[in-house]
Amino acid sequence: MSERIITYVEAIREALDQELQRDQTVYLIGEDIGTWGNLYGCSKGLLEKYGKDRVKDAPISEAAIAGCAVASAASGLRPVLEIMYIDFISIAMDQIVNHGARWHQLSNGKINVPMVVRTQGGVGLRNSSQHSQSLENWFVNVAGLMVVMPSTPYDAKGLLKSAIRNDNPVIFIEHKALYKQKGAVPVDDYIIPLGQADIKRKGKDLTIVANSWMVTHALAAAEELNKEGISCEVVDPRTLYPLDEDRICDSVKKTGLCLVVNEAPAAGGWSGEASSVITENCFSDLKKPVKRITGMRTGVPYDKDLERQVVPGVKEVVSGARELLK
Amino acid sequence: MHYSEKDLLKMYKQMYEIRQCDERLAKLKLKDLVMNGFHPYVGEEAVAVGACYALLKDDYMVSTHRPQGHAIAKGASVRSILCEMLGRMGGPSNGLGGPMQWVDAENRFFCGSIVGSGICLANGFGLSVMQAGKKNVCVCIFGDGASNTGSFHEGMNLASIWKLPVVFICENNQYGEAMPVREFVSVDRISKRAASYGYAGLTVDGMDVKAVAEVTKSAIERARNGEGPGFIEAVTYRYKGHYMGDPDNYRTREEIAEWRKKDPIDRCRKELIEEAGMIESEIKSIEEQIIKKSDEDQTWALEQPKPSLEYAVSNVLIPLAGRYA
Repeated sequence: MSERIITYVEAIREALDQELQRDQTVYLIGEDIGTWGNLYGCSKGLLEKYGKDRVKDAPISEAAIAGCAVASAASGLRPVLEIMYIDFISIAMDQIVNHGARWHQLSNGKINVPMVVRTQGGVGLRNSSQHSQSLENWFVNVAGLMVVMPSTPYDAKGLLKSAIRNDNPVIFIEHKALYKQKGAVPVDDYIIPLGQADIKRKGKDLTIVANSWMVTHALAAAEELNKEGISCEVVDPRTLYPLDEDRICDSVKKTGLCLVVNEAPAAGGWSGEASSVITENCFSDLKKPVKRITGMRTGVPYDKDLERQVVPGVKEVVSGARELLK
Repeated sequence: MHYSEKDLLKMYKQMYEIRQCDERLAKLKLKDLVMNGFHPYVGEEAVAVGACYALLKDDYMVSTHRPQGHAIAKGASVRSILCEMLGRMGGPSNGLGGPMQWVDAENRFFCGSIVGSGICLANGFGLSVMQAGKKNVCVCIFGDGASNTGSFHEGMNLASIWKLPVVFICENNQYGEAMPVREFVSVDRISKRAASYGYAGLTVDGMDVKAVAEVTKSAIERARNGEGPGFIEAVTYRYKGHYMGDPDNYRTREEIAEWRKKDPIDRCRKELIEEAGMIESEIKSIEEQIIKKSDEDQTWALEQPKPSLEYAVSNVLIPLAGRYA
């Protein structure tokens, strides 16, 4: 299968393009996804290629967009709805959580809601406190939803295709700081199954469980520590729910030390869930308690340096690892 | 519009059946077999039945937290509704939803307890049938209170700009919980709001089943023909509380008595005799049959089992192939 180096944005666009081509019931709906092709270009050119019925620019009405997506998914279509910034999803929450996530169960399994909510979160573009939050934890806690967060262009394409083909509502959270990241991506069709973690780097001394943009930092930290002879294994769960407990625990059982890195604040979050799963399953193998490196519990500041200081960076991951290895 | 005796009688029977069901539910509520999520529908039957007059089995309907009348008019059996209200297997959601929220896949009926949400959901059904090139429609019923939500504004606008085959029916029963329309809605006629979104907007006497059927039928026909969404305000009244046993301190006894004089079932019964030429004893016998059937339905529903815990937590997600957390 031929590969070439493309960006995370291009990988997403290719997945959308190929899925729109493959399945006539797939359609896109969201704000400025058509004429603008999304703020970052994730759906650029698709309106021209597939027309207004398949690529639907919608008014700034997140509840209307989400409601339309939920019910159309329950009646034969496969919507990929875009929420421009994850912060705006608060307006669409009722439709996703109270209806989209409930209907399969309330219909005794007769109705599926094959909908993907594509959105993006996190810091990195100085968008400040209402455009930069990491809100994935809200969705991990809702029964009836799956939550996916790709960290590379390759994963973004393969996971988005899986999410679109999955018959459950899937929250697919991209990261604005990853959009320009480049990587090798096959031209042709491939899928990455949901619910499978990926070992991004093999190692033996310490396991770093990181997701989304934090994988980039974890890999940079592992590289730095490698120079000192410390071998880190970096595990990216890719799907926060359902979580690939086996692959994460296998790694921790091997290394006996674990650092969990997540951009969202710690309290009530997925980082705590991962830590608990590891502790419950690997207690006898752990040499020290699982350690978390997370975003601070604060609004994201506007300043270029400050916005990066309130979330984990390479430095924090390195020092967290060193502390565990002491 | 002229209605045949058959059509009028059909609507009468449905209204009578809905009221019988509601009255049984009220008694079951007093025995704590049905919970406070039950919102009585007595008085509003003409809206449900009139709205469904021109609706087909494969059309969609989105309803509210007071859905039982709409559901029966849309095609659900009384026994299935009694089961859902009682929390028993045999209800549309096998008793997992209860009185306010269920999904009836076979009858394409969806209801929920978040006020206003349905207005946005209805558009999705409209979009699906439009994209599939079908002639179906979605009828979306909501209350006066829902017309104050953001969902109302967002949903009405989207349906209009995309010309979706959706008919919105605002069931104005005068009170959003305890809050009267006259104090809590900015206009005297909720149908006036429709103009903001490019709809004609009609107000109809919601105690007159023939009038509701007529305006809904023409709105449904326009929607089927690709002429876009419609908006109807049906002015009606709920005789009982927002829920059974609410303090009912927000209106006078006289007001309730005045509205009861306009009862939609009495009115239709009179029309059957005076306009369709039916005789009293014929109607009486039909009513007795409905009462007998309702009793049987209730007995049957009370015999149905509760869902097991195992069933109650199933169907949350479709498992991933192979393994599943």
